[in-house]
Amino acid sequence: MGDKTDVWQGTLALMILKTLETMGPQHGYGLARRIEQTSGDLLQLNYGTLYPALLKLEQEGYVRSQWGVSDNNRKAKFYELTKAGQKQVRRATADWEQTTEILSRFLTPAEEA
Amino acid sequence: MSSASAKMRAFLIRMVRSVCGWRGADEFDEELEAHVAMHTEAGVAAGLDEGEARRIALVKLGGAEQVRQARRERAGLVWLENLQQDLRYGARTLRRSPGFALTAVATVGLGIGACTAIFSLVNAVLIRSLPYGDPERLVYLFTPNPNLKIPEEVLCPGYGDYFDIRRENRSFESMSNLVQTRFSVDEQGIVQRIGSARVDEDFFHTLQAQPELGRPIAADDVQAGHERVAVISHALWVSMFGGRADVLQKSLTLDHALYRIVGVMPAEFEYPFGSDLPYGDSQIKSTQIWVPLLLTAAQRAEREPDNNVTIARLRAGVTVRAAQAEMAGIMARLDKQYPDDPNNEVASMRPYWGALVKTFTDMSVGPVRPLMRLLVAAVVLVLLIACGNAANLLLARAAERARELGVRTALGAGRGRMVRQLLTESLLIGAVGCAVGIALAYLFLRLLPRLDPGNIPRLNEASLDGRVLLVAVGAALFTSLFAGLLPAWRASRLELTEFLKAHGARAGSSGHSPVQSGLIVAQTAMVVLLLAAAGLLIRSYVKVVNVDTGFSESTVTFNVGLDERYSKPEQQVAFFQQLTARLNSLPGVLAAGAVNYLPLSNSESITLMYVDGYPNNKDFQQAEARYVTPKYFDAMGIPLLAGRYLSEDDYRRKSGVAVINKRFADLYFPDRNPIGAHISTDREADGWKDFNTVVGVVGNVRHMSLEEEAQPQMYYGNYQMNGAYVAVRATLPPAAIANEIRAMLKAIDPQLAMTDIRTMGDWISLASARRRFQTSLLTAFAGIALVLALVGLYGLMAFSVNRRTREVGIRMALGAERRDVLLLVMRNAGVLVGVGLVAGLACVWVVTRVMRSFLFGVSEHDPMTVVAVSALMIVCGLMAALVPARRAASIEPMQALRTD
Repeated sequence: MGDKTDVWQGTLALMILKTLETMGPQHGYGLARRIEQTSGDLLQLNYGTLYPALLKLEQEGYVRSQWGVSDNNRKAKFYELTKAGQKQVRRATADWEQTTEILSRFLTPAEEA
Repeated sequence: MSSASAKMRAFLIRMVRSVCGWRGADEFDEELEAHVAMHTEAGVAAGLDEGEARRIALVKLGGAEQVRQARRERAGLVWLENLQQDLRYGARTLRRSPGFALTAVATVGLGIGACTAIFSLVNAVLIRSLPYGDPERLVYLFTPNPNLKIPEEVLCPGYGDYFDIRRENRSFESMSNLVQTRFSVDEQGIVQRIGSARVDEDFFHTLQAQPELGRPIAADDVQAGHERVAVISHALWVSMFGGRADVLQKSLTLDHALYRIVGVMPAEFEYPFGSDLPYGDSQIKSTQIWVPLLLTAAQRAEREPDNNVTIARLRAGVTVRAAQAEMAGIMARLDKQYPDDPNNEVASMRPYWGALVKTFTDMSVGPVRPLMRLLVAAVVLVLLIACGNAANLLLARAAERARELGVRTALGAGRGRMVRQLLTESLLIGAVGCAVGIALAYLFLRLLPRLDPGNIPRLNEASLDGRVLLVAVGAALFTSLFAGLLPAWRASRLELTEFLKAHGARAGSSGHSPVQSGLIVAQTAMVVLLLAAAGLLIRSYVKVVNVDTGFSESTVTFNVGLDERYSKPEQQVAFFQQLTARLNSLPGVLAAGAVNYLPLSNSESITLMYVDGYPNNKDFQQAEARYVTPKYFDAMGIPLLAGRYLSEDDYRRKSGVAVINKRFADLYFPDRNPIGAHISTDREADGWKDFNTVVGVVGNVRHMSLEEEAQPQMYYGNYQMNGAYVAVRATLPPAAIANEIRAMLKAIDPQLAMTDIRTMGDWISLASARRRFQTSLLTAFAGIALVLALVGLYGLMAFSVNRRTREVGIRMALGAERRDVLLLVMRNAGVLVGVGLVAGLACVWVVTRVMRSFLFGVSEHDPMTVVAVSALMIVCGLMAALVPARRAASIEPMQALRTD
């Protein structure tokens, strides 16, 4: 797994950004649940890994956070996309689509031949 | 925001967090708590009991502590935090032993300070580029003549030759002539003589220097009738015109003629500086005014070298050697084409005018390059000694801390971590030492103007610029690594079992390790070398300043230059007759006389001469010749050895008499009386005419430098000079007499300036300034080195006495006297110093050879210096060892045996 970590972290960041884009402001627990659901429960996500990733995005200026109140009246920290974050979603999405597209050409060569 | 700048932003945030120590841990705990609570609630809602739900939430999270750790690592920079921790620990341990820390920091600071100071000098003088475009391609053109016994770089091509070279050469992009001059300028009522230059239209173009205001001297300006224009320096613009923009509508009165100002040069351009031209006008420190150089048709055709300075810019890709070869070819052709003019004394050297092309930087910097090298070598030694000291201190400390280190190793501290810890400590010392060193260098630069010998180019521009600071940091890093790696490496090899057995490694019988002794020996050797170098320079300096100059040091001299109003010979005669007569009648004045070339003022006139009745007259026989007024000898205190001085009568009758010096008499009249002999300096066709009768022989006078024997000298009586130095011997103090003279000169002609007011002692001081500069610097460095080495020796002795307390106790218990113990330590120190001394003297023997050019009157193996240095080293070394030795001798055996 070791050398796949980078890809994983990269994709996790994109998942977070994309989820925030579709759902709007969200707290860490909600984000984790949503990502898990979106993946159709195929992803074994350690919820804890979200927090360093969120901190990184915050340091990079893609998300910002503030305390708010959750649906069942609990005090929680909510994350939302910044302007730079919105741009980053578009850029990272495009990058990712290109990567998968290139990869798919390699992985499905039989039909082409 | 691009992803690179986003990463940068993240990095900065992490760095700031690490440094400030704020990581928002509490806030995160709260966030995490909320997360777990929400997850638990969801579990309960799904029907689990609360305990189980919370357990699942925590598992799903991946462990609260792990998440905290992962987040902590992301919040800051881990390596930075480790470094901070090391630094904090290092600083704490250093604070706990202030004696060690202070000694180490002072040692390193002195070494780095010396290095930085000297490098700032070298940087300004040798490395920093000149304020002229592409100075590497600038050259001077000279025409040396083997028959003239003067330095090769005195004469530049005559104007006739110059224009031929300019037309025919393919080596130079452009060429230019300048002539140094001084103008009287009335600045707020005070008449000053200001360094100036007459320059041709190619001057600024050749130097690739542009005015910051207005225009340079152009081709139209060097035409008769158009030449009353001037370009002025930035400094003059500010001081005379307040830096106002309307300066280009103003005029300037130079020697009573009005010049229109057409340009202002930028601040750094004051070429030529005094130090740019080794044989230039010594009274010009820098040039403030440039006016057109106007040449008559006759001058343009003149083949005889004038007082012009020729500079040229090499075409890209042309080497100095190629340019010189081409110039030599042209000169050889010219030598053939314009044969000897028999009526002209100097042109009679025609077949021998050669060619010499020298780079601009060689000319201005060349003479001081060896001095800079010497200083750099000296500071490198000082730095190495400082390194040795710091290493020894750290080694001693590591040995003392062997127990602590052993315990830490036993508790599982990794070797890498230990080495890093020890290195951090030495880097900390290096960093503080670096700051101290830079502060010391700053102080040195503040002091430098007072040491400035005046003939080292751009010395006053020395400053702590980025390059100098980089060297300081580099020196600090080098010192830290040198001093820190050795102890760190040894500490990391500490054998745990050995340590546990022996409570720390006990060194050999002397109480310290061979490495430590080796460092002391090496330091001592380097100090001996520095002391010897300084000693040789001091001895030379003492010899130079005590040299018999041949004149009285208390004589007051000043320069007075006559302007265009005194163009007729009889006006000049009348002026100097009146001046000297009135000076001689001033109360308190014993004698006053004028001379056109004052000793040590860096000006000279050499004449060819023929001695009647001398069997070995040669073709190019030379003597220094000067005009004096009657009481000059008396005023200068030049003793009469035979015959008589010149008298007023000689002047009145124009009787054609001369006075020669002792050297002249010794050389040309070895076995006959020179009085009454005839000498001619006037060569016409094949014979010599206008013989002068020798009426007196006076003492030798050192003229060009203190360090050169006097040449044959002749003095003629003459009042006709367009400017002269006046020497005054008086019973009044110099300042008082100067005021009286100034008032008197004002009464004679208020528009004339009295400049260069100095006693002959001041001239001696000026002439020995370079030597004083190098001697005091090297002596200071040798002193610093000595102190450092003694501190090192003292430290080592104290350390080994400390470690041998128990042994000394046993010796004393077994009957050793206190004297024996004292001698034991002293012998130990003596051996180290002795070995170092011998090694050092061996180096001295080999190395001081390179110093030969710096010495005067002493051999590089001067026995007195060797003896003095050895004695100084031994006495100081033993004194440094005495304190620890006495401490050893005062050890109480019973107490010593009880200590562990």
